[in-house]
Amino acid sequence: MPRALRIAVVLATALLILSPVGLVIYQSFLSGPFFQPASTFTTQAYEFVLFEEDDFREAFVNSAVIAAGMTAIAVPLGCIVAFLLVRTDLPGRRLIEPLVLVPMFVSSVVLAFGFVVALGPVGIVSLWVKGLVGAIPWYLYSKTSLILIAGLTHVPHVFLYASSALRSLGSDVEEAARSAGAGPVRVALTVSLPMIMPSILYASVLVFFLGFELFGLPLVLGDPERIIVLATYLYKLTNKLGTPSYDLMAVVVVAIILVTLPLVYTQRRLLAAANRYVAVKGKASAQRPLALGAWRWPATGLIVAWLCVTVVVPVAALVLRSFLSTWGEGVSIWDNLTLSHFRDLMGYPNLVRGILNTLLIASVGGALSVAFYTLINLALHRWRSRWTALMDYLVLVPRAMPGLIAGLAMFWLFLFTPVLQPLRQTLFSLWLAYTLVWLAYGMRLVSASLLQIGPELEEAGRVVGARPAQVSRDVTLPLIRAGLIGSWVLVFVTFVREYSTGVYLLSPGTEVIGSLLVSLWGTGAVDLVTALSTVNLALILVGLGLMFALGNKRHA
Amino acid sequence: MPKLVIEDLHLRYGPVEVLKGIDARFEEGSVVCLLGRSGSGKTTLLRSIAGLEEPYRGAIRIDGRPVYDAGARVNLPPEKRDLGFVFQSYALWPHRTVFENVAYGLRLRREGKAEIAAKVQTALDGVGLGALAARYPSQLSGGQQQRVAIARALVYEPPVILLDEPLSNLDAKLREEARIWIRALIKRRGITAVFVTHDQSEALAIADQIVLLDGGRLVQSGTPEDLYERPETAFASEFMGSNNTLTVAVEERREGRVRVALDGHSLWGLDRRQGPAADGSAKAVIRLEAVRLAEGPGENRLPAAYETSIYLGSQFEHLFRCGDQTVRVLSDRRATPGPHWLECPPERLWVF
Repeated sequence: MPRALRIAVVLATALLILSPVGLVIYQSFLSGPFFQPASTFTTQAYEFVLFEEDDFREAFVNSAVIAAGMTAIAVPLGCIVAFLLVRTDLPGRRLIEPLVLVPMFVSSVVLAFGFVVALGPVGIVSLWVKGLVGAIPWYLYSKTSLILIAGLTHVPHVFLYASSALRSLGSDVEEAARSAGAGPVRVALTVSLPMIMPSILYASVLVFFLGFELFGLPLVLGDPERIIVLATYLYKLTNKLGTPSYDLMAVVVVAIILVTLPLVYTQRRLLAAANRYVAVKGKASAQRPLALGAWRWPATGLIVAWLCVTVVVPVAALVLRSFLSTWGEGVSIWDNLTLSHFRDLMGYPNLVRGILNTLLIASVGGALSVAFYTLINLALHRWRSRWTALMDYLVLVPRAMPGLIAGLAMFWLFLFTPVLQPLRQTLFSLWLAYTLVWLAYGMRLVSASLLQIGPELEEAGRVVGARPAQVSRDVTLPLIRAGLIGSWVLVFVTFVREYSTGVYLLSPGTEVIGSLLVSLWGTGAVDLVTALSTVNLALILVGLGLMFALGNKRHA
Repeated sequence: MPKLVIEDLHLRYGPVEVLKGIDARFEEGSVVCLLGRSGSGKTTLLRSIAGLEEPYRGAIRIDGRPVYDAGARVNLPPEKRDLGFVFQSYALWPHRTVFENVAYGLRLRREGKAEIAAKVQTALDGVGLGALAARYPSQLSGGQQQRVAIARALVYEPPVILLDEPLSNLDAKLREEARIWIRALIKRRGITAVFVTHDQSEALAIADQIVLLDGGRLVQSGTPEDLYERPETAFASEFMGSNNTLTVAVEERREGRVRVALDGHSLWGLDRRQGPAADGSAKAVIRLEAVRLAEGPGENRLPAAYETSIYLGSQFEHLFRCGDQTVRVLSDRRATPGPHWLECPPERLWVF
């Protein structure tokens, strides 16, 4: 790519990243909405939110407590699951391994609905247990439950990093411990896990950071007892004072980014450290699984129990509920099976549009996003320049923006910029917000493919007479084609799952399943919510099936 | 007029100076070897000629036309230099067939379909792969891939072809065959070739001109015979061939000759010192094959004690001890333990 084009791409990306953030910061110092000429510069909003608003303080403390609590649950459990699946002869581990990642692919509002339908005060499982023992031994809407569920659903994030680190560890260190007389538990605790400490540390910071971003789970599970966290506080703020208070929302957004940005930066540093650590002793030759002996059954039981609580029970209950005409104490499942909710769904034009829009934005939009991520990657590809370093830091900014915030900032940007105004109520605004939110993720997907190409393949193109653009077209892109298709499938699933980014951008014409679910939940339309969630799950299943098929083909 | 001229070329990676001022001229139709250890800058120099690295000072001219000239702010991109380049890893595009790999350069030059087909076929026939045009690179052996890489670099008839250690991925037997046919191919085409290698025997076999580099500087440039028989520096003499390097005391210098003492015995050698004479000890270099086993004492002979031998197949290599230094000698006879005399011909004993 010619240098001028590279710089243009970097500048355009910087504009896309920085203008929404800049607008939010600008708004946070205004006395009224940015579109009102009467607004003046002031720090009023900061003073109000930070010093006078008790709800904000409560939300902040709750977020911190929940983030810490879920980290304390997810990290040990994720490490144990990773150790069991990667390093031991656990029965059925080949079957279990792909299932462990499933919670990452299901949208967390959908999971939250599932928990309500299964384990809520009149949940399907709750009532069944009540029939057996006479009472429900848990209460779903407490802070403890919220922390527990958040922790359990974030086990896959820890698993992902811990398992890849464990895979690159030679098994000789474990065998040495075994022959010195240590049992499997001792081996895990004293040898394997300490050796992958940098990866675990990285995963811990990641989960803690995701804890601050939580939106779907506290929105659904925290609402009955008014447990608010930062994201739900922001969401509620829209209507709290009667009129949308732009200045206050902007301050909350700035506050959230001020918390998440350092966390993202720390992650970046830790990831680099973890990679260095692994590279030093990347002797992954001939791994022999550790024999668990008598531990194998309790270990399998633990993983199966986790899978049941986190995935099977909520998803099964949700799907079941979408086929039940009604539910409550004394209602029989068999007598009430129906398809009417899905028929009803088809009767609402906005819901039908939502499903079609979701498909459109995930497939066509996803492809366009991958194209955009590829363009940025090609612009930075093999370019030793300060611009590349700048871009490295710039992509941290969207990572620090939870979907809800990015959607809000994008909404304001479309209000603020005259040329963009006509596009505000089109799918373009939504696509741009999605692309921005998943920028760092998508760029990593594409760059992983680009890193596989030896530089001399491209240099060979230049030497035989191809201009940089011709090399990109004739050599680089064809070589990463399989990787790009894989990235597109992952982005497809991600966009189908996304629910928070579209919340503020929801308008006639820009409905997607995720944002519709959030707003429908507020109205209490459980039948429609469960039916729409089931459609969402089905779409994700299609995506996962596609991924699986592609993965298998690449192995063949 | 020389085909390729390099003037005072400097290049650095960050703070590290990789090329520290290289001057060289390569004649039309000659095969030039850039020879040196790893880190000597030979590959960097080759890549600079191709435009894959950017120097910060100096100039590179092909046929008198500057492709890089720091003074005139000229720096042609690789695709404008019209060169052929053979990569160490061959860098064949795995998603294209052999035919398409070779044809790409012609397509970029907008040649006609029939013409491309004919030229590619000629190029592939030239490297003996005419029948494999439809294969993908992954279906070829290492030696075949190397031939495709050469065909790809030659097919659009560049005036200069650059080869970066093209033989290093072949096994020993194939390597010896390859250097003969590559030299023959280049000579037949009459083009100028610049060839990077760290293997001195490969350089001696293939080159018309050897450019020896060390630490980013040019040590010596000349014919293979020049470098092997008339090395100008201690580094050049030790880099080429197998040598005995001895520490000697200088006794007398006269008309380009020098008398030195080794373990108390005087020997005459060629005075190869550069710069002002430093008295006292000096370094003497003599190739293994230059030392002869002698029957008794005489001119330029010294007594030595036999230590051990190794059998090399075609001959023996004997190890002798002269005082506290060891001398290795090649001979087709066995040697017996006990005292011996070694003759070091004065014109082949170089004192630096």
